Amino acid sequence: MSETYLPHEVQYSSARHQAESAISGMWLFLATEVLFFGALFLTWIYSRHWNQAGFDAGAQHTNLAIGTVNTVILLASSFVYSAGVAFIEAGNTRRLVQCAAAAWLLGLAFLILKFGVEWRDDFAKHLFPGADFAIHGPLGGSARIFFEFYFLGTALHGLHMVGGLVLVGWIIWRARRAEFSPALHTPVIVVGLYWSFVDIVWIVLYPLLYLVGRGP
Amino acid sequence: MTLRLRRLWLALALLLLAIEFGASFLPMDRAMRPLLLIPAVLMVATVGTVFMEVGRGPAVVRLFAVAGLLWLTILLGLGSLDPLTRTDYPVQSTSPQ
Repeated sequence: MSETYLPHEVQYSSARHQAESAISGMWLFLATEVLFFGALFLTWIYSRHWNQAGFDAGAQHTNLAIGTVNTVILLASSFVYSAGVAFIEAGNTRRLVQCAAAAWLLGLAFLILKFGVEWRDDFAKHLFPGADFAIHGPLGGSARIFFEFYFLGTALHGLHMVGGLVLVGWIIWRARRAEFSPALHTPVIVVGLYWSFVDIVWIVLYPLLYLVGRGP
Repeated sequence: MTLRLRRLWLALALLLLAIEFGASFLPMDRAMRPLLLIPAVLMVATVGTVFMEVGRGPAVVRLFAVAGLLWLTILLGLGSLDPLTRTDYPVQSTSPQ
């Protein structure tokens, strides 16, 4: 089918032009997000450099099992969503719905583990850097800085995850209404880019929070 | 890219995660432990090239991706320059003994 028969908004010369603009726009947005999270990673470099012992003492109190399982969950979620993109490009809407639903459920599992189990456990152990912070002694101040980074980093990532769940849910809803086809499925691609980017942020956060400070 | 190939890339990413996880238990000097980020960087490259398909689409996509990495490098590089290169010399106390 010729592209001239595909619907597109009036400001674009063709459906292909519209699709490329949307995909490029998402990549530009993600480039700004790289700098947003880059500032967070810089605080980690700076804070750990000046407070290594205490920073690592704080990291040893994180829940390595949940952090690792959550990393596997997000990698699987990114994979299964990208498979859904391949399925809609082949014209298989049913498979797209299944893949996006699986990605959504994996994302929800991540949030439940992170905030429903891990954060709850952290608060119960008084690891939130408040008045009753659990780590005392000469390393207490630096461990407090670590947990300030931990809670800020995971909260910012979690907010992005919630946004991603809303977007993936929107894709599922539209796919179930058969609004996508091999020729017209740009929203599926654009949301997939965002979803995988949120996975990338976690891939970097995981060693910063759970591994670097944890010696043998 | 076929589903089978995507599965292989997922397996590679999980292998990198296992390496990263296992290496974290090795005895390493505290200053060297940020090297544990190397598998993470490879995992990021895998997700970016395979799941996000940065190689597809218009050329401006690659431009934005490279620009993001370039500015991140400048941000982290310039930001780290002072803490990673400054030498701290002990200062004698001037308070009366």
